Amino acid sequence: MAGDSQNAGWTIFSYLIAGMLFYGGLGWLIGHFSHIALLFPIGALVGLGVGVFAVIYRYGRS
Amino acid sequence: MSADMLAVAAAHCTETSAHLHSGCGYPAPGYPGSFLYGPLFQIGSFTFNKPMLLAVICSAIVIAFFWAAFARPKVVPRGVQNIGELGILFVRDQILRPMMGKRGDGFLPFLVALFFFIWIMNIMEIIPVAQFPANSEFAFPAALMLMVYGTYNYLGIKTQGFAGYFKNMIPSGVPAGILLILAPVEILQYILVRPFTLAVRLFANMFAGHILLLVFTLATWYLLVAGIGLLWSATSFILTVVLTAFELLIQALQAYIFTILTAQYIGGALEPEH
Repeated sequence: MAGDSQNAGWTIFSYLIAGMLFYGGLGWLIGHFSHIALLFPIGALVGLGVGVFAVIYRYGRS
Repeated sequence: MSADMLAVAAAHCTETSAHLHSGCGYPAPGYPGSFLYGPLFQIGSFTFNKPMLLAVICSAIVIAFFWAAFARPKVVPRGVQNIGELGILFVRDQILRPMMGKRGDGFLPFLVALFFFIWIMNIMEIIPVAQFPANSEFAFPAALMLMVYGTYNYLGIKTQGFAGYFKNMIPSGVPAGILLILAPVEILQYILVRPFTLAVRLFANMFAGHILLLVFTLATWYLLVAGIGLLWSATSFILTVVLTAFELLIQALQAYIFTILTAQYIGGALEPEH
């Protein structure tokens, strides 16, 4: 539908945030218990990558 | 100026009294000073303040307007009914139909109410005396978001089943390894990021707009002194006028975006995308 492409931008934005939130959170959680502070930024970056991947997966192939 | 003279001057520095060369600094707007209001009246521990009053007035305006327009509808619309139909047709043809198709027509009253309530609330930002967008208090957009969030989650679970609703969030036909990486992101995107961004977008835009207008309005008054300050004051005044027009656009745009995203989410709940 026409509206889908119109709002793709907002959805893409949500994916990037969600990716960073989940994998950053995962990194923070593991880092918190294993006392490796670096895991949080690493997780956030990985999450950003996954977010980009999710966007490509959903929109890039059509 | 000595230190205690500065302290004496600072004691008299308010938004209305501060001027250039008066020893007062620029009274910059900000949180919480420009956003928190004292109680208008109090019932027990419940306090009623200006943003709440604005919300009540805005809902009254929306109800009164549509009541006046459609209490006695005529086949050939006249007067206020014309404007009411224009508004409803705009929401139907520009927001509802592109996102949900004809099936979504049952949600027209909800979307119309949402659009006009948010719009009128936002317009209060530039109405004299009111001059405050209640949506710049996070609780107001959050309450609207919870309404939308409840609606589309309920509809999604009702039409697709509880397990099916979550299953449809995840893309189908994906290798298991990729699915394991993508699934948490997809689910988090649906249940957390989506509603949060919906509320924050409206809140942040109105918050920023209110500060933006205050910065230049206060600067106009602060710089209003005999001398070169007059020129700067005039510049600030022109910017205030320009930004007021700009905010008029933002207010309508944010109401439109909130409503169109609501329509998209409800449409997605009725008919899974994947």
